[in-house]
Amino acid sequence: MTLDPPLLSAKGVVKRYGSTTALDGVTLDIAPGEFFGLLGPNGAGKSTFMALVSGFRPLDGGTLTVGGASVAGSAAARAALGLVPQHIALYMDLTAEENLRIFGELYGLHGAILMERIDQALAAVQLADRRFDTVKAFSGGMQRRLNLAAALLHRPKLLLCDEPTVGVDPQSRNAIFDLLQELNRGGLTVIYSTHYMEEATRLCSRIAIIDHGKILALGTIDQLLDQLPFEEEIRFPSTAATGALLADLAPNGEVTTVDGIHRFRPRTGYPLSAFYLLTERLSIPQRLFTTQRPSLEALFLQLTGRVLRE
Amino acid sequence: MNSILVLLRKDFALLRKDRASISLTFLVPFVLIYLFGQIYHVNSKDPGPSGIPVAVVNQSDNPGAQKLVEALQAETSFKVLTQFVNPDKTTRPLTEEDLRPLMRADDFRFALVIPRDVVRSDSIGLHLKTYTNPRNEIESETFEGLLQKTIFSHVPQLLGQSLQARAKAFLGDERFEKFNSEIASTVAENYGGDASAIKARMESGDLLFRVDGSGTGTEGTTDVLASIVKIDNVQVAGLGVKSPMATALVGGWAMQFLLFALTASATALFRERDQGIFQRVLSAPVSRGDILWSKFLYGICLGLLQLVVLFFAGHILYGIEIGSQFGFLVLVCVFAAAACTSFGMLIAAISPTPEAARGLSTFAILFMCAIGGAWFPVSFMPEFIQRFSRLTLVYWAMEGFSQVLWSHDTLVELLPTLGYLTLMTSAVMGFSVWRFNKGRIFD
Repeated sequence: MTLDPPLLSAKGVVKRYGSTTALDGVTLDIAPGEFFGLLGPNGAGKSTFMALVSGFRPLDGGTLTVGGASVAGSAAARAALGLVPQHIALYMDLTAEENLRIFGELYGLHGAILMERIDQALAAVQLADRRFDTVKAFSGGMQRRLNLAAALLHRPKLLLCDEPTVGVDPQSRNAIFDLLQELNRGGLTVIYSTHYMEEATRLCSRIAIIDHGKILALGTIDQLLDQLPFEEEIRFPSTAATGALLADLAPNGEVTTVDGIHRFRPRTGYPLSAFYLLTERLSIPQRLFTTQRPSLEALFLQLTGRVLRE
Repeated sequence: MNSILVLLRKDFALLRKDRASISLTFLVPFVLIYLFGQIYHVNSKDPGPSGIPVAVVNQSDNPGAQKLVEALQAETSFKVLTQFVNPDKTTRPLTEEDLRPLMRADDFRFALVIPRDVVRSDSIGLHLKTYTNPRNEIESETFEGLLQKTIFSHVPQLLGQSLQARAKAFLGDERFEKFNSEIASTVAENYGGDASAIKARMESGDLLFRVDGSGTGTEGTTDVLASIVKIDNVQVAGLGVKSPMATALVGGWAMQFLLFALTASATALFRERDQGIFQRVLSAPVSRGDILWSKFLYGICLGLLQLVVLFFAGHILYGIEIGSQFGFLVLVCVFAAAACTSFGMLIAAISPTPEAARGLSTFAILFMCAIGGAWFPVSFMPEFIQRFSRLTLVYWAMEGFSQVLWSHDTLVELLPTLGYLTLMTSAVMGFSVWRFNKGRIFD
């Protein structure tokens, strides 16, 4: 429960493309200062949600406000937003500085203030020494970092990051993570969409798991994992020997199979010793079994019956 | 307004970095105008066709026939061939038997045979024979027309000889002799001169066409046809225009280049959409209208720049006079550029993909230029197409250029043309904006 009024409030948001419902009654509030994650597979509705929040597309139903004002109808609400699009939305033939100057000016920045903000943004994304180079000469990671810098010039209250690390090398990815975390610590509210569970786990204080346009689960990581009806998961390969286990395990928990790997989630109270006695009786080598703490991936699997990368 | 100016400046910054676009917008049209000028013989003393190969076989010993050959050789539209080149590079006069195989080999497509009886007594007129391969209709008509003009203009004595021969056959020797003597005497009595000399010239076919004011007739060295039919021409417009043909043509070419350039510029909307630029821009305090207005203004600026550069090219290359009318020319260029930009926006608005936009625009531009008078005068076209051409922006832009550069019209006289262009621009732009908002360019 947050005491501050939400910075972003979505109530029953609906978006349709023809006969396809991309967002189906999405309701969530995001408090100032949150690092909020939207976790879901491709096509889940993450980018559509970002497009609606940024005012790029109109809503077909529900309400969506930033700072209490509708994004579509309020220049002030838009000025409070910074968008890092999924695409590298930069002019490739212009230099880094020329790009930042254009996007800064669109937010009404001029003169010395604009130049100061450009200096700061380029320094923040470690591109100060490439200021006068054309963007097309940048590596993918550098372009991604500049893509982020362009959204920071006007010092937004809410930063929308739509899968900002797609195709980025580990070094640039870490640089982006570090910068976002630093900005968040400074009070910037961040909405971060991703289909990488690791990114959501590392960065986000609260996460919404979204699929087929619906919020399936919403909360902190601990709150989400508490929704799982088991505390551990045992994984083992699908072989003729292990196949004999399945019939005995079924009454004592849930077994799913993905990519040739069985996942056994015992019901509460089922002793793992019973599981291992069973494997000894069937002479299945112990090395085939691994025990893992449940993850967001497991939760997604639990909620949708699919793994997250699908 | 600030956003529009920022986006406008951005487009010019992108243009400045794009050397290929600058070349295609300014340099290539400049070069093409030069090349088209050469093709169309702009500012040439003899702007008609030149060097059409024509074989001539002269079988007659009539001096007039030889004069006809020389007149044809002097005609720059023809390249007269009279010699057959043997394999050993030696030559001999062409014969009629040589013509068919050489024409089949496409050495030439037209041949003239002047037969021994070029002047006959059984009919009035010359007896000539032509061989043709009329693969190109315009070329054939040019050949026939120029051949007739050359005969009438330069060797009228052959026609005179024909009349004399026919009269002699009709009257008989004695009465013909008396007929010529009496006419020669009458001419000598009334206009002076020696009757016997006049009679001798009549018998040679010289019917005393007076073109040099000397009263002595001519041997055909001057255009006799022009002296027979004298037309007093009173030019009511275009007086003082140094380069009439270039003035008429450059506007048409410029419009064509402008349409291609501005359509390409408008379809850049697709690229910006696909790069996600619109999403970023529209997340700022910028409206769709701002984006479209910036594109519209950019198109007008670019179009104005291109038109002025091309007319300047016309001034340098062909002496088109733009200085005295520069203000009005710029005015028409602004309205023409606005109309072309709206057309480009329409193409981008109704096309689902950049590829579709390219195909559609190519068709539409060529069609509009063809019927709008950019390639050749609208008056050459069927009447219903002439009416239809008035629905094209090319027609009204051409009309505007003509009013400024040819007729030197006043602002008041220009207003209706500018009004039509404004009407077209408003209608097309209005529809385009509606389509942009309904369509998927911003999705």
